[in-house]
Amino acid sequence: MLLKAILVALIATCSTWWFSHSITRTWLYPLWSGFLVALAMGQPLEGMQAAAYINLAYLGWITAGGTMPGNLMVAGVFGTALTLLSGADPKLAVTFAVPFSLLGIISWQGYMTINALWVHRAEKYAAEGNLQGVRMMNYLPSFFVSLLLNGVPAFILVYFGGDLATRLINSVPQPVINALATVGAIMPALGIAMLLNYMGKPKLIPFFFLGFFLAAYLKLDVMAITIFAAVIAVVMYLFFTPKPKDTEVSNV
Amino acid sequence: MSEATKTLTKGDLFKHFMLGYSSETAYNYERLQALGRANASVDLLNKLYDTKEEKINAIQKYFVFFNTEPSFIGTVIHGIEASMEEQIANGAPIADDEFNSIRTGLMGPMAGIGDTVSQGIVYPILAGIGCSLAVQGNFAGPIIFELGYKAIMLGLGWYMYTLGYKQGKTAIINMLRDKTLDRITELFSIVGLMVVGSMAFSRVAITSPLVWQFSESAFKLQDAFDMLFPGVLPLLITMGVWWLTKRFKPTTVIAIIFAVGIVLALLGVITTPL
Repeated sequence: MLLKAILVALIATCSTWWFSHSITRTWLYPLWSGFLVALAMGQPLEGMQAAAYINLAYLGWITAGGTMPGNLMVAGVFGTALTLLSGADPKLAVTFAVPFSLLGIISWQGYMTINALWVHRAEKYAAEGNLQGVRMMNYLPSFFVSLLLNGVPAFILVYFGGDLATRLINSVPQPVINALATVGAIMPALGIAMLLNYMGKPKLIPFFFLGFFLAAYLKLDVMAITIFAAVIAVVMYLFFTPKPKDTEVSNV
Repeated sequence: MSEATKTLTKGDLFKHFMLGYSSETAYNYERLQALGRANASVDLLNKLYDTKEEKINAIQKYFVFFNTEPSFIGTVIHGIEASMEEQIANGAPIADDEFNSIRTGLMGPMAGIGDTVSQGIVYPILAGIGCSLAVQGNFAGPIIFELGYKAIMLGLGWYMYTLGYKQGKTAIINMLRDKTLDRITELFSIVGLMVVGSMAFSRVAITSPLVWQFSESAFKLQDAFDMLFPGVLPLLITMGVWWLTKRFKPTTVIAIIFAVGIVLALLGVITTPL
């Protein structure tokens, strides 16, 4: 359990401390960070399913300019870990994850505020010509801030939380479990709705319904729909790209 | 004139490009990616300048507020940085404020396009496919997501970086003026919307357990739904939540979903197959 707790703590730390996005860019998303937690905790299948159920609620969450409407990294790592610790059905994962993600807004704000200190130190090093000092300020202190804000709580959860989580989940009556699972099944609608707000220009919205009814009536799975969608997009491009030359000719 | 021109090798550029992925390592509210950009410049400046004074002079201009999408599209600005640093080292009269006005002028538009590509298109399509596979117990789900996302990110990132290095800001201005980019974004949005449309059916897994018992037979509401309008509940719920998100903050919507969902489930109006 000690090794598992340390590994999950490191995943929690690096999902916020983005030492290089060539590695950590996907650690923002529960599907991947939760899967890493699942591997660390030795339950890849259940953990992966939990991670996926969590991620579905965040399909349309756009985090721009350092503000986020809920902490995805915390949701993915802590939600998956708690699901596995309690032995709950992976479908419940999202109902565990969402409260963590709201608490995570506070830890994110703390992280973004404290890190401003290192810029000032780095600026001083730069003025002294100490370029390695600038580099150190970029990488080192924010690791410890994230370790404190994310890693330590994750360690405590995994190392000490197992018994409590199991007892809690076992004490909850079945109708309440079912109700929480129902809430979890509604949550993907939030991710989808936010995505519609972000990229749904009015003229594109019919394609959302096309995808819905292809799945509802023809029972096509997501891969099949992706392929059909790609074909439709290519056809639209080839048929409806304006050709300025043509209009000139027709005007003559 | 007699001085040999200082040139950056492909290796120098690749290193600068890769260090760009550390733009958000010490991410902070005060100056966002400023420290990350200063860190990325360290090796460039060590290569281009010999004296400590020159390096001090060169690095300080990076400590201004800077924020863009740093992984997919904004790398074009990183490429322009490298190109301008090289020109300055060879004596071009580019003042610090000119250097920064080019960067800050571009960071907004590039963030807009970059966030759309990375978070509005690539992420939902790949995560949609990945999650659908993963909930069925297929390990290809997270693997496809990880490999697909990184391949597109690094490929597009390097393409934009070299575009910025070779063509400077004219490349971007042409790109913004040309409508091709808007059209390609729209076409990918079609794929994204169809994928999430199908997921509204398959993943908003809500059914109704309501049954009316008559003397002879039982009337199951869900059976009627499945026959007349499959997916009517997922569709109504998605539309309802969409309506809520246009009026309330996400956290409020979450609270409403919890409250309404728990009450309706306890009353036996809706459920999810466990």
